Amino acid sequence: MGIAPEAQVETVAPHEARAPSSPKQVAKDSLIGKRIAKLDAPDKASGKTRYIHDMDLPGQLYGKILRSSRVHARIVRIDTSRARRLPGVHAVITAADVPYQRPLGVGKDHLPLKSDRVRSPRDEIAAVAADSPEIAAAALKLIEVEYEDLPPVFDAAAALEPGAPVLHEGKPDNIAMTFDYSHGDIARGEAESDVVIEDTFRLHYVTHCCMGVSGVIADFDASGSLTLYSQTQVPFLHKREFAEVLGIDPGRIRIIQPPIGGGFGSKLDIYPFEPIAIFLARATKRPVKLVYTREEEFAVSPTRQPVVLRLRSGAKKDGTLTFREVETLHDNGAYTSWGATTPFVIMQTISSLYRVPHCKYHTSAVYTNNPYAGSFRGYGNLQGTFAVESHMDKLAEALGMDPLEFRLQNAQEPGEVTGQGMHFKSCGFKDCLRTAAGRSDFQRKHREYRAAQAKSGRYKRGVGIASMLHVGGGAKIYPSDGCGTILKIDDFAHVTVMTGASEIGQGSETVIAQLVCEELGVPLDAVTVVNNDTDITPWDVGVHASRTTFIAGNSAIGAARKAREKVMAAAAKAIGYDAAALDLRQGMIVRAADGESIMPLAKLLRSLHFSDKAELVMTTHYYEPPSQHQDKGFKGDVSAAYAWASQVIEVEVDTETGIVRMRNVWGAHDVGRVLNRLGIEGQVEGGVVMGQGYALTEELIVERGVTRNPAFRDYKLVTAPEIPEMDITFIETMDGEGPQGAKGVGEAPAICIAAATANAIYNATGVRIYRLPFTPENVYRALREGGSKK
Amino acid sequence: MTADTYLAPKRLDEALEALRGGEATILAGGTDLMVQSQSGKTPIGPKLVNIRRIAGLAGVVRADGEIHIGALTTIAELLEHELVRTHLPSLAEACDHFASSQIRNAGTLGGNVCNASPAGDTLVPLLALGASVELAAKPDAAVTTRAMPLGEFIVGPGKTQRKPAELLTAIRIPVPAAGGVQRFFKFGTRPALDIAAISLGLVTVKEGGVLRHVRLALGAVAPVPMRGVRAESMLEGRRLDPALIEAAAAAARDEVRPISDVRASDWYRRELVRNMVKRMLTDVSQS
Amino acid sequence: MSAKVEIGFNLNGAQRTVEVPREMSTLDMLREVIGLTGTKYACGEGECGACTIIVDGRSVNACLMFAPDCDGRSVTTVEGVVDTPLGERLRDAFVQAGAVQCGFCTPGMMVQAKHLIDMHDGKLGREAIKRGIEGNLCRCTGYVKIVDAIAAAAQPKG
Repeated sequence: MGIAPEAQVETVAPHEARAPSSPKQVAKDSLIGKRIAKLDAPDKASGKTRYIHDMDLPGQLYGKILRSSRVHARIVRIDTSRARRLPGVHAVITAADVPYQRPLGVGKDHLPLKSDRVRSPRDEIAAVAADSPEIAAAALKLIEVEYEDLPPVFDAAAALEPGAPVLHEGKPDNIAMTFDYSHGDIARGEAESDVVIEDTFRLHYVTHCCMGVSGVIADFDASGSLTLYSQTQVPFLHKREFAEVLGIDPGRIRIIQPPIGGGFGSKLDIYPFEPIAIFLARATKRPVKLVYTREEEFAVSPTRQPVVLRLRSGAKKDGTLTFREVETLHDNGAYTSWGATTPFVIMQTISSLYRVPHCKYHTSAVYTNNPYAGSFRGYGNLQGTFAVESHMDKLAEALGMDPLEFRLQNAQEPGEVTGQGMHFKSCGFKDCLRTAAGRSDFQRKHREYRAAQAKSGRYKRGVGIASMLHVGGGAKIYPSDGCGTILKIDDFAHVTVMTGASEIGQGSETVIAQLVCEELGVPLDAVTVVNNDTDITPWDVGVHASRTTFIAGNSAIGAARKAREKVMAAAAKAIGYDAAALDLRQGMIVRAADGESIMPLAKLLRSLHFSDKAELVMTTHYYEPPSQHQDKGFKGDVSAAYAWASQVIEVEVDTETGIVRMRNVWGAHDVGRVLNRLGIEGQVEGGVVMGQGYALTEELIVERGVTRNPAFRDYKLVTAPEIPEMDITFIETMDGEGPQGAKGVGEAPAICIAAATANAIYNATGVRIYRLPFTPENVYRALREGGSKK
Repeated sequence: MTADTYLAPKRLDEALEALRGGEATILAGGTDLMVQSQSGKTPIGPKLVNIRRIAGLAGVVRADGEIHIGALTTIAELLEHELVRTHLPSLAEACDHFASSQIRNAGTLGGNVCNASPAGDTLVPLLALGASVELAAKPDAAVTTRAMPLGEFIVGPGKTQRKPAELLTAIRIPVPAAGGVQRFFKFGTRPALDIAAISLGLVTVKEGGVLRHVRLALGAVAPVPMRGVRAESMLEGRRLDPALIEAAAAAARDEVRPISDVRASDWYRRELVRNMVKRMLTDVSQS
Repeated sequence: MSAKVEIGFNLNGAQRTVEVPREMSTLDMLREVIGLTGTKYACGEGECGACTIIVDGRSVNACLMFAPDCDGRSVTTVEGVVDTPLGERLRDAFVQAGAVQCGFCTPGMMVQAKHLIDMHDGKLGREAIKRGIEGNLCRCTGYVKIVDAIAAAAQPKG
């Protein structure tokens, strides 16, 4: 077959125009590891990007939700008649108006609209759709609700006591979920120990504070199919769940994800506001937009899981860890969302961050009338690492060992299969430890600051180290952990990648484009990534577990390689070369041996269309990582790869006020390989500061079930002047399964910060604090009391 | 029922006439009013009177031994003003810690005073500096004015002696003696964008090592910004030494009346008052 | 009923006349009445800076400014900022420095950065930049690259 005649009108793509005119040598132009600007950044920086808040549909109404004014009560009567009569109100709905609603969420214990009982002040009772948000808000005030108070319970331990108020029928003990895990023999481990310590750690409520508040637009077409403009991080799973909750065919639900103003795990579960917006749209036959206020966002969004964690650890004189025994109590709040399942991750840190021969873990998530916790970047690992790494320091001290040496002695190495069955194929843990410690001069500072503790003076300096293990190659939580890609190359050599993976600001869109460029030898501006419409994109389990680069990246590579094979075969045929002797570089088909350009890729592609066997280059690929499902005892390898990091933090403690200033963070991250240096630095810097907020400034204050500080005024995110100096090193272990060797990084940087800070405060002051956050008052009090011992 | 109105008078007498009938809500920078009106804490009256267009109500001048600050002067303008930086460094310091750049650009000194927050950032240095407020009204054909010390003007959280028909037109501060000492401290983990858990202002004159005209003001430790009169009287006419500093700091701790809220407990506020008064006095003793 | 106020002001270089309720915020006016959605709502209380605009040369929180107070003034939003040479430089710097992740705080940061650079004569150190954006919250980036971007844009090219 010869080259078919060109189209009558020759159109040249911009990138094609820049391609060198043949014949010429074309160099390989890899983008991997470079500083690549995010593809969506120019629009975002110009104010052009349209988030849900910025979208309006014709005929749209505005939804608002009425929530309980009681903490725990029976609903005796709801009267919506006055609200219905308010001009501009199109619908007022209560549970009675929605006969088909089903419980939603991880525990399937949560009705979108509560029918007979409220269990928290977050509880949704009624909703209004009106011509404006103001009218909707005014209508809420006209709804009368009569309650009969029930006895509340605000403490997870108290909720376990006999006679405690029961939150859910069928759960007489208030236990929402339990996890049990063990390997080895704790009794033996304890018998072998020369040192045993036990402490209780208390982790607080924090919340995501996405800058874009929660919102949704629900729109039914005339045939009853639903289009949902949603911020969800898991569109395909939610399609199915929405169908269940609504009682409609999942095939009639289309989820479109406009750009979102931050995710961080907050949008991994279905929360009532989305089904409620859908109910309102169904009731009014109009599009309904429902957007939170910031106060609502604080008062009703899921939180990070608060935990009370009792940890017993032992070690031998020679510095070998012997055992760990853990019991945790999770305040589950009124309903079960992902927070209840964080033990799944906590136990991995307990069992496998260091080599521990004997391990036992038990946890209960217990219903109370408090807020419920969702998933939040790091997913339990901040909590678990805080306890484990505090204990690593305490054990080292009890043994008279240097904290770094003690950690190195027990750190995991490549090839290890842990007691839990996690297989560490690539593992840069020891490199991380040595790098972070070396760059910070950790050992010298640690000795000197400890020696200076006794000296008088207002300010004390300290350094602390902590490390973390997290999934870096997806996580087998659902039946599949896969992601699909559809790739097409048009006749101007423009590549469209349709991926199931969602972009939530983290930069996956750009990384996926880079990986495709690497395979197809096209410039970055020749790639468009489509990633936000369930009617177009293939299946994926969502953006969570630091999985997107790894899973969606591998999936995109798979599709690109198939496309490349097609292109090369066609090129070989057209040119009369062996396909193996050809390469694709900068939009050109070149001779592999010397880069001699042969023809523009676009020209070849056009010729395919106009040949007698017209063909489009279009491929699909589904990638499922080579990990396994854990057994019922949680044994097994949940991820295709694992990420490691060590961080050293230097603090200055003002002993007269309790203010802890985070001066420096030295981080070393085993990321497999850096794909986009700009993007990965941004992930780490942002994660460090999020960890800083968790450690020092953020606390959602919940008193008797009510959030007392639902505003940025009193919920303190870290501001620019407070950030530490950061020194970040990437350890490239080139993971065999990773896309170009990369592993996940999204959650890792936030995980060790609180733990390293605790160790640094101890190094500065000699006082160990077991409770977060290290706000000035908490630290000051601890210094006065000489540490909150046990 | 009459329709709500919005007025933006350009002259003081027009504004005062608009206020005459009462029922008016005064708008200046809007930074407090917007939040308070939307939360329902300060409902906007039938008349919303925007005083920002009134000529001659902004600016800082020195006259008759006083520094005269127009009510509409923004916090940012104060921070940048040479007279303030030279003579009122403690006020400049407070302005530097005030909210954020955006709010300093919009918020006015008159607004911060009339908002009368126990934690109001400028109130503490103003109190220590012996500031008074100037109020104008137009009960009939003529504009009348009166003045009163700031300490008397503020009577409770969000409450002042301003009558509904009055407008706060200026803050007047006696020019501090040359060689005087001024200190300001605001507790927080951030330079700004923080509501003070406590704040302190100290204005005094050090004559041959002896403290004279001591004025210690404390914020966010009582329903109104308050003077630490017991600590002041212990310090007045005395030479600072470690024992006196300790005693005065303890006296200040004991005379404040803080509450516990989401920002701090009363115990912690008292501890901060003692520690920070001690530090401030130690700093003064060494200067 | 809330009175409507007719106001005229300069918006991004062009004269506009609109009618607004007297209690409406400038943020709501820009977004809901005029349809310029680059200015973001994220707290409504002046605590986050996502709605930063420039009024008569000074940055303010649009959420705290009563819309009628725009009368006779000159208002610049992010859409207007990126139309200026400094705004273009800032946008390119934000893009190239990696200062944008979810992007929701970015328009406010861009406007505040312009104000900051306008108020300084070339000498804008990192600490001054951090103080300058203390009223702008970002949950994604940890601010490092935002400071990088503003520092880069503050250096006039050539």
